[in-house]
Amino acid sequence: MTAEVTVATGTGGLGTDMVLNIGPQHPSTHGVLRLRLKLDGERVISAEPIIGYMHRGAEKLFEVRDYRQILVLTNRHDWLSAFSNELGAALAVERLMGIEVPERAVWLRTALAELNRVLNHLMFLGSYPLEIGAITPVFYAFRERETLQAVMEEISGGRMHYMFNRVGGLKEEAPAGWTSRARDAIGLVEKRLPDLDRLIRRNDIFMARTVGVGVLTAAQAAAYGASGPVARASGLDFDLRRDEPYLAYGSLKVPVVVRTAGDCHSRFEVLLDQVYVSLELARQCLDRVDQIKGPVNVRLPKVVKAPEGHTYAWTENPLGINGYYLVSRGEKTPWRLKLRTASFANVQALSTLLPGCLVPDLIAILGSMFFVVGDVDK
Amino acid sequence: MSGVPGYGLGKGLAITLKTLVSRSTTQQYPDVAPELPPRSRGVIALREENCTVCMLCARECPDWCIYIDSHKEEVVVPGAARPRQRNVLDRFDIDFSLCMYCGICIEACPFDALFWSPEFEYAEYDIRNLLHDKDRLNEWMATVPAPPAHDPQGEPSKEEANALKKAGAA
Repeated sequence: MTAEVTVATGTGGLGTDMVLNIGPQHPSTHGVLRLRLKLDGERVISAEPIIGYMHRGAEKLFEVRDYRQILVLTNRHDWLSAFSNELGAALAVERLMGIEVPERAVWLRTALAELNRVLNHLMFLGSYPLEIGAITPVFYAFRERETLQAVMEEISGGRMHYMFNRVGGLKEEAPAGWTSRARDAIGLVEKRLPDLDRLIRRNDIFMARTVGVGVLTAAQAAAYGASGPVARASGLDFDLRRDEPYLAYGSLKVPVVVRTAGDCHSRFEVLLDQVYVSLELARQCLDRVDQIKGPVNVRLPKVVKAPEGHTYAWTENPLGINGYYLVSRGEKTPWRLKLRTASFANVQALSTLLPGCLVPDLIAILGSMFFVVGDVDK
Repeated sequence: MSGVPGYGLGKGLAITLKTLVSRSTTQQYPDVAPELPPRSRGVIALREENCTVCMLCARECPDWCIYIDSHKEEVVVPGAARPRQRNVLDRFDIDFSLCMYCGICIEACPFDALFWSPEFEYAEYDIRNLLHDKDRLNEWMATVPAPPAHDPQGEPSKEEANALKKAGAA
């Protein structure tokens, strides 16, 4: 069969393939991710994510910072999961130094990590519909974010870069009455979250754009090392909070939200349902914090030096598995601190996910992979 | 989930309607100042007379945005055998265009010369003006709030514990 194709001037002789760049400056890439697409009309033949536009050399910078200064940088590679990031780095150093973190700090950290997860998910629950044309949900998502951010700011002083973890615990004790105010905020968000839920989850237009679009199979997700909500939406039932508990997760019952469809809509649903789960977990942690007396940090030597050795600390970050491989030669700075980020692995799956889809679906898929460019490029 | 087409849309519009008739959450920012908690990290204030030019803050800063110059002065103390040496601060600048607002300098300061203030309205048209000198940093001292009391379940703050110890000793 022969097809007659009319192409624009200047493309004669090039065949029907068109190479299109999405990004690096494109609103739907949340920053500077570039995709090189080969198109056949409206259909994507191949897609290649080109990363590195926001590379800041975080791993190299770690090597010339002491363990307190490193937390400043870990705050920033995934700016939406700042607390979970600094937590992972602190856990790695604590394990190498053999520090036992006081129980009160462990439960406070767990509560804050869950609140951070809610904040992260709310951001995507607002921005994802925005990308595919629904501008309303973002206002509802940010109303909830603001409520929780006030709580985080009261305890840590920061709204995004909390800088509240320290090697051996937390920076300082919570202000008097903070736990009850945090519980109030959680209650308020829980009460208002169904608004966001009803607004978008079953919206006909939203479903038309996302159901059955961008299906990632469990095997593909595993092959690309995808983790977190993206992998769980494909039926990859893996959550470090349950499977390899750190902090206080071992004594909590962590319900893991799993979907099997693997399409954009199920990825969105996993995120939405995880918010309910995390709010409940945070409340349980705060109740425990109120029952435990004691310090929230340990006395450290004047110069914190991790003994010679290496360790790998991984945590279930909001976007997936985040790991720090710490190699120390006994100095006050790490010899090497390798960073394994969730977004980096998740973005790689785009090259199999995008071919075959239409250009309008591309944005729906891209947005549903839930990545932070800083976390991709490090 | 209902099979009726447009059901999800209708449900969403019901939320919109509900929000339309309820109180708005908008904050009238420039007219109404936001209420910020005392720990809020807005700007760093310097109490100059507490600074001993030990340089700990400048060394601990993760991106080295604190600039300190000083000279030594001799102070003759009546009755002492020889005059004492004292550090005098000539320059204490913080470059807020570099500052990452981590608070390590404040934590590192052993003499309570640095404090957080929740003030945040110091945007500039020229990036060079974000370098605050010691006079400007001193002015922020007036805006530093008292620290919040600690949760009674946890340990009291270092200042409280020290004060208690002193009261017990006296």
